[in-house]
Formats: sequence, structure tokens, C-alpha cells
Amino acid sequence: MLQYIIKRLLILPFLLFIFSIIAFILIQAPPGDFLTSYMAELAASGSSIERAQIDALRALYGLDQPLYIQYFKWIGRLLTGDLGFSLDWQKPISELIGERLALTLALGVGTFIFTWLVAIPIGILSATRQYSFFDYFFTVFNYIGVATPTFMTALVLMWIAFKYYGVSVTGLFSPEYIDAVWSWDRTVDLLKHLWLPVVILGLDGTARLARVMRANLLDELKKPYMEMARAKGMSEWRLVMKYPVRLALNPLVSTIGWYLPLIFSGSVIVATVMNLPTIGPMLLRALISQDMYLAGTIILIYMILAIIGTLISDILLAWLDPRIRMEDN
Amino acid sequence: MNIILNPIRWMGILGLATIIGAASISAKEAPQFSALVKAGKLPPVNERLPEIPLMLPVVDEIGQYGGVLRRAFLGPGDHNNYTRVVYDALVRFAPDGSQVVPHIASGWESNANFTEWIVRLRPGAKWSDGQPFTADDIMFWYNDILLNKELMPGGANWMKNKDGSTARVEKLSDYMVKWSYKQPNTAFLLNLANMDGADKSISNLVFVPAHYLKQFHPKYASKANLKAKIKAAGFDTWTQLFAIEALPHLSGVRPGMAGWIPDGTTVSDRVFRIKRNPYFVGVDPAGNQLPYIDEVRFTFFADKESLNLAAVSGEIDFQGRHINMSTYPVLKENEGQNNYRVMTWPTFGGSDAVVMFNQTWQGPEGEFFRNKQFRIALSYAIDRDAIKELAFFGLGESRQGVPAPFHPYYPGDEYAFKYTQYDARKANKILDGIMPKKGSDGFRVMPNGKTLDIEIGVVPAFGAWTDIAQLIVENWAEIGVKAHVEVRERTVHFAMRPANELMAEVWNEDTTGFPFSGQPKFDPRSDPALTFAPLVAKWYATDGKQGVAPEPAIRRLVEIIDEAKTSSRNRQVALAKELFRIWADNVWEIGTVGLTPMIQGVLVANKKLRNIPEVAGNDWPLRTPGDTRLEQYFYAK
Repeated sequence: MLQYIIKRLLILPFLLFIFSIIAFILIQAPPGDFLTSYMAELAASGSSIERAQIDALRALYGLDQPLYIQYFKWIGRLLTGDLGFSLDWQKPISELIGERLALTLALGVGTFIFTWLVAIPIGILSATRQYSFFDYFFTVFNYIGVATPTFMTALVLMWIAFKYYGVSVTGLFSPEYIDAVWSWDRTVDLLKHLWLPVVILGLDGTARLARVMRANLLDELKKPYMEMARAKGMSEWRLVMKYPVRLALNPLVSTIGWYLPLIFSGSVIVATVMNLPTIGPMLLRALISQDMYLAGTIILIYMILAIIGTLISDILLAWLDPRIRMEDN
Repeated sequence: MNIILNPIRWMGILGLATIIGAASISAKEAPQFSALVKAGKLPPVNERLPEIPLMLPVVDEIGQYGGVLRRAFLGPGDHNNYTRVVYDALVRFAPDGSQVVPHIASGWESNANFTEWIVRLRPGAKWSDGQPFTADDIMFWYNDILLNKELMPGGANWMKNKDGSTARVEKLSDYMVKWSYKQPNTAFLLNLANMDGADKSISNLVFVPAHYLKQFHPKYASKANLKAKIKAAGFDTWTQLFAIEALPHLSGVRPGMAGWIPDGTTVSDRVFRIKRNPYFVGVDPAGNQLPYIDEVRFTFFADKESLNLAAVSGEIDFQGRHINMSTYPVLKENEGQNNYRVMTWPTFGGSDAVVMFNQTWQGPEGEFFRNKQFRIALSYAIDRDAIKELAFFGLGESRQGVPAPFHPYYPGDEYAFKYTQYDARKANKILDGIMPKKGSDGFRVMPNGKTLDIEIGVVPAFGAWTDIAQLIVENWAEIGVKAHVEVRERTVHFAMRPANELMAEVWNEDTTGFPFSGQPKFDPRSDPALTFAPLVAKWYATDGKQGVAPEPAIRRLVEIIDEAKTSSRNRQVALAKELFRIWADNVWEIGTVGLTPMIQGVLVANKKLRNIPEVAGNDWPLRTPGDTRLEQYFYAK
């Protein structure tokens, strides 16, 4: 087992190297560069910048150099632990993404906990009371949750909040706390704003998770050991919670690792619509403005998370299910 | 655009300023400054103001101090949001855009043939850190920024002589600087009025705090010191660091002359704050130091739609930028209950949606685009009233891309409304004479047997251009001309223009107020510009070696623009009128509806905010709303 983990970890730098090249090329694939998109952005906001100024800026930022030199400049900085410099924001990337990563994590973990707290009980109740009113109600509810895009839910809720309460529920902080230093009051303020995006994002995941939980549990409930336990006089509630629920959870637990990259990348549109200071909108903007150093660094972070997530999943699965073992053992 | 080139006329205004200067013996200041003066932390207001302060007229009444002006911005790319608020230039455009007026500089004069310009500064004027502002701050810009080959390898166009050399700038005294060109330069003031750090570019500077910037310049700073600073900021070269430190809104701590100065935050922050400058040179007619408002606060929004929602719910105090015209009805609906009012400032002439045909399109369709009668027919076929109602909420008027009627360059109604009446029968008749053959689907066929199909490139940028293009496609279908709309991402579209890959496009004609400066859209050489004639641009750029030679009418446009750049005011007006007559008559660009508030012209304003003019010139060169003097806006108690 340990050997397996070490082997997987050793291959990590090589994977990252390959991925970094792919990411860099993909980001550069659209026509033009940061400055052509900058010029277009200025024109679309009513001003115009001369081509000569753009060319001067291109030399200033080193964008006139060949692609591979730009790549090595970027990766060279990364190797020394420097995340690089954003052309668009004119700031070191580490300074830009620090708090955003933390807030994204808070949003992601909050959503994750909400999803599980809501979905698992619903799944259990739906399975144990199959075809009851309760089951049908949540089936319909779940399908609506799956079928409605999260940004739509966000827009509808934002509109309701504005129409009936006269407030705009955007952002994660009240104006006075946006750029304040962290304090107890700021944390409370964050929690006051965080719940709405958590619910919006959670509704989508809740539906899926509850359906999977229901299906898994239904499979278990039909198995003979249930009859056996009932025959021995075990109370129904204790029985369900002790054996089939645990077994039904196994496949879900093993996929927890997959949530890691999803936590960071799963909320781009909602975060943009709701003006949340998370990492997603920043990546979106970096891609649109072709700020390749910022986009590349964020994507690389996503990749590291995806690789670690997969690894965690594999480990959990191997640990939970003794039938899965490394082939060379 | 009545640029006053006669220095005698300016004497009157300078004289007025002198009287105000005398009155400023009893200048008044904001309460928080009085407290600082009392505590000995700030010199008294009379010592902070120049000997002859700038008198900024108020729109309605003398104001009161206090309050925060809340605005919203879209992040570091939206730096011009700041630029337009402070409009920090030596001279400014007046609120109606009709002339250039003194600002940080107290005045100017030129010689008889406009080759020499002397700009006068205000003795006693100070930077926001209290250091004197003198001719040396302009000389530092000239010698150490403009002439520095590392910082500005290409120089700046407005500083160039015809032969490509750089114009000369000399210090005559601490408060007088002289520009000398080798040819008459009547665009000097227009350019000077736009040297305010716009586009966050050091190319658009002309006065900088030399005492602050020397620490970032290798000519003055020690190598080790500079190297440490570059490294600490995360840059590779000194030029990158200098380009940031030279601009207040990127640096955050660079001293400035504007009414409000950043408090350490920058446009890269989530909240960007600029606070009242204790040394601002301006006073109101009663001698109160401006600005009235304590602070302008820009809050970051990742998305334009959520910014609009914030405007609807009354969280923005004054803004037209990024307010979508399509939000207008919703804004109006909520106007009463959310403590703001909605205002409209129409565009500064032109047309807010035009179809531009590529005159050098190389496909078989190009033959028709170059046919004036064909273009006239397509113009008649457009139902502009429908566009006005559906896309502009009934605001504005049907017109070609010529200046507004109040503008001295206006060529007359005859040209403004030429070919704009909706007449499908007339259009059909003209077309039947050009391409009578139709296919089985009813669409007209080119001589090569293929159906003519015009691709209209659209970028959803300002207005409901996609909808407008679709309406035009339907209008044209009625006269048997097939067309379709192709919506593209803006960078892609912009790359296609100079590559001669666009057949036609929808954009706006917004340069009619300034045909002889910047990048006018009637000049085929402009870049960026519309897809007017990309191969003619190439022809001019390569001195006729490559590209396509322009037809006589287009050649005349170029001649007019070149002559106007060096001619007197009266001649400029005559030339501009001729330019717009040719422009409207040839309909290379079909205008639809203009004078709507499409571009940053739908404004929300806090109900308590006063001294906002109901009418204002609204254009980028005017730095609207900067031209309306935000320094004299105030909150009624």
C-alpha cells in the first residue's frame, strides 16, 4: 500500500510537467495575445489605444518573445516557488489568489457539508419508504434540483431578494468588510453571506447524491442478511443504520476525493453571477483577457488538486474495500 | 468643437481667475482639513492653494462638504473608470465638449502659425504630498520618460514632427514651458487635454511628480536600491516597475494633482478609494476649496449584470459606465423607491449602430460593396423606426454617422438624414438595375451564379447590436438581399479586421466630434478602426507598395484629415463639413439611429447629489463624466 502511494507520488512531477505544457499551449491557442484582447477591451469601453503603444507594451511584458521562452520564464519562476506575475492585475499572483483560495475553500467545504447533511437523510428516508408520498415528493424535488442550472437558481433568488426585501445579495461581505483585516466580526459577516451560495450550489449536488444513496440502499435492503437480522428481533431503525447504510455509503465515500478539484472549479458561473470573490471568476477573466500566467497558474493548481483527489479516492477505495488490491501484490 | 486658438480671447478668462485668486485670501476648506490645520499637521489652506487658484464654476449652487460617492468597477481592466472621474490633465474639455479650458495649467498661448505653444503653470501649486509643482515636473516627463528609449521606444505620436523627429520642449521659467514643432500643430490642445494617464499608459502622461519618480529611474536611483525595489514588487525590469509607479491608480501612493488621490489602494483591489486632495488647485466661485465630496469609492464587480443589479437597488451614487441601456426600463421602474434618479446623456453625435461595408473585400461580394448605388439601396431598405423602438426604447433619431446638430462640424440636415427614409420600393428599383437575377428562393444572385450572402460580423459590445443586425437582415430579405449575422468574441473580431476577413460589421460611429485627432473611423489608416478598407490602410502604410489604392473619394478623406491637422480653426470647420458631406453621401457606412444614451449615457444618480448638468458632452476624449467637473458635485443635506 505504502509502496503504491509512493509510486503515485513520484510520478506527480512528471504529470505536472506534461500538464503545464498542455495548459500553456491551450491558453495561448486563441488568436492574439493579452494585448490584443486588452486593445479590444478598451475599444469596447469607448476608448482606443494606438497600435504603437500596444507594441511598446508587448515589448515591456516580453510577449514579443517566442512561446517556448515565455513558457520557460513562467515555469522557471514556478520552480523557485514564485507563482508568477499577472499581466492584467499587475500584481504577484500569490498576492491575488491567497484570500480567494481560502474563500473558495470555505464555499466548497460549506457546500460539501450542506450537500451531505441534506442528501444522506433524504436518500435513507426515500429508500426505506420507497414509493411513499415522501419518496415521490423528494424525487420531484431532486429532479428539479438537477434540472435547474445553478446560475438560474441564483438569478431567481437574487431577484426575489431584491424584489421583496430590496437588497442585492451579491458578494460574500458587506461593503464595510470587503477589504477589512480578518476579525471575528468579518467572519460573522462572511457566514451571513455564505449560506445563500452554499444552498444554491448545494441543491444541485444534493439531488444527485440523494438519488445515488437511495439506489445503493435499495440494493442492500433486499439482501438476505436483512431478513436474518429482523428474524433475530433487531429493531428496524438500528438495523438499517448499522449495516445497509454503511455499505451503501462505501461507494460514495470513495469518491470524496473527486470533490477536491470540484470544490474549486464547480462554482464559476454562480460565483460570477453572484459576484463572489472566489477563484472561479478570476480564472474566467484571466482566460478571456488571455492573462496566460495567471490562468496557467490557476489551472496548474486545479491539476494538482485533481491528481491528489484521484489519489485520495484510490486510497480510500483500497482501504474500504479489501477486494481491491494492487495488481502487482 | 470650438477650440479657441486666439490667445487674446483667453486673457478674459485668465483675468477672471486673477480676481478669484485675490478673493482666495479668505479661502475655505473641508472641516476635516481645518482640524488638521489646527493640529499643525497641515499648512493653512491659503498656503496649500496656488497664488491664482483654478476657479471651477458650479452648475447650480455653491455646495457643502462631505459624503462618499459610491461607484462600481470591473477590476484592473477598468482603470479608465478612475481616469474619467478625476480627469487629471493640464487642460480639460469644457462640459459641453465645445472648447478646451485651463485646469491644472493656468493658460497657454501660441505663435501666429501654431508651431510654438507656451503652457503656463500656477505658481504655488503643489502635489498632493505638499511638494511644489513646477516646470521641472514636465521636463522630467520630457527628458526621462518620453525621450527614454527603454520606456517609450516608439515615442508618442502627438509629440512627433512631420519628419519623425520629436518636438522640442523647453523650460522658460519655473512656471512656463514651451513646445516647438516643425509644422503648425492645431491639435496641440486637443492632445494636451487627453494627456491624463488614460489607458493606464505612460504614453498618455505629460506632467509627473519628478521628486517621487526619481527613485524608480536608473538615471537618478542607485542600482542596488532600484534592484531591491524591482524584486520586492515582483517585476523583471525597471521599466515595468516605473510604468506602475508613474500612475496614481496603479501605484496607490504616487502623489497627484487630481481632486481625489488614492489612499494606498489601487485598481487591482476589491475596493479602490480615492480621497480629497488637500492641495487641489481648484476653488468654487465662493472661494471654497474643491472637491466637495470627501471620497470616491470604486467597488469591484466581477460581472456587469450584478453591477447593474446593484445600480437598480440604489447601491451606486453616480455612474453611467457599465450601466446597460437595456437596464433603462428597470431603472426607471425602481427610480422612486431606491433613492436614485435616472438621467440620460446622449452620445456626442454619430450613429449608435452602423453597418460598415469592407471596401476592399476580395470575394465576389466586394464588387457590390464598392457600388455606391447598391449601398444606397440597402440604406433605404432599413426600417430605422423599428430599430429605434425595439433597440433604443424610442430614444434618439434616425441618422447617418455625422456630428450632432449643435456641433460646428454638422454638415446639415440634408446629409444627416440622407438615404435614411424607409423605402423598400425605391431600394428594390435600384437593385433591379444592378442585380436583377433572383434565385428560386427569391434572393438576388451574383453574376457567378451564386446567391449574394452578406455576413454581418457583430460583437455584443455596447448596444443591442445583435438584435439590430437581425432586424436589418430581415429588412434586406424583403428586397431580396440575403444576409446573416455572425456573433463573435471581441478579440477574434478585432483580429479579423486588419486581416481583411470581415465582409461587413455592426459597430457605432462615435468619432464624429474629433475627426482630426485620435483614431477617427473615417480615416482608412486608423488602427484600431472599423473594417472600412483594410487593404487601403495597408496601401498607405507601405507607401503604395502593397494593398489596394483608394478610390478618389476615399483619397479625398485622407487629404482633408491631413490638411486639417495643420490648418486654422475656420479652415478646419470647412474641411470637416466637406468630410462629413462625402461620408454621408457615399454611405460606406450605413447609419441607423444616433443621439441615444447608448454609451455610458444612461446614468443613475443619488437623489441628494447636486450640480450634475442635465446636458453634457458625452464622449471618451471628453472623459465624461470628468468634463462635468465632479469636483463641484455635492450631497444636499
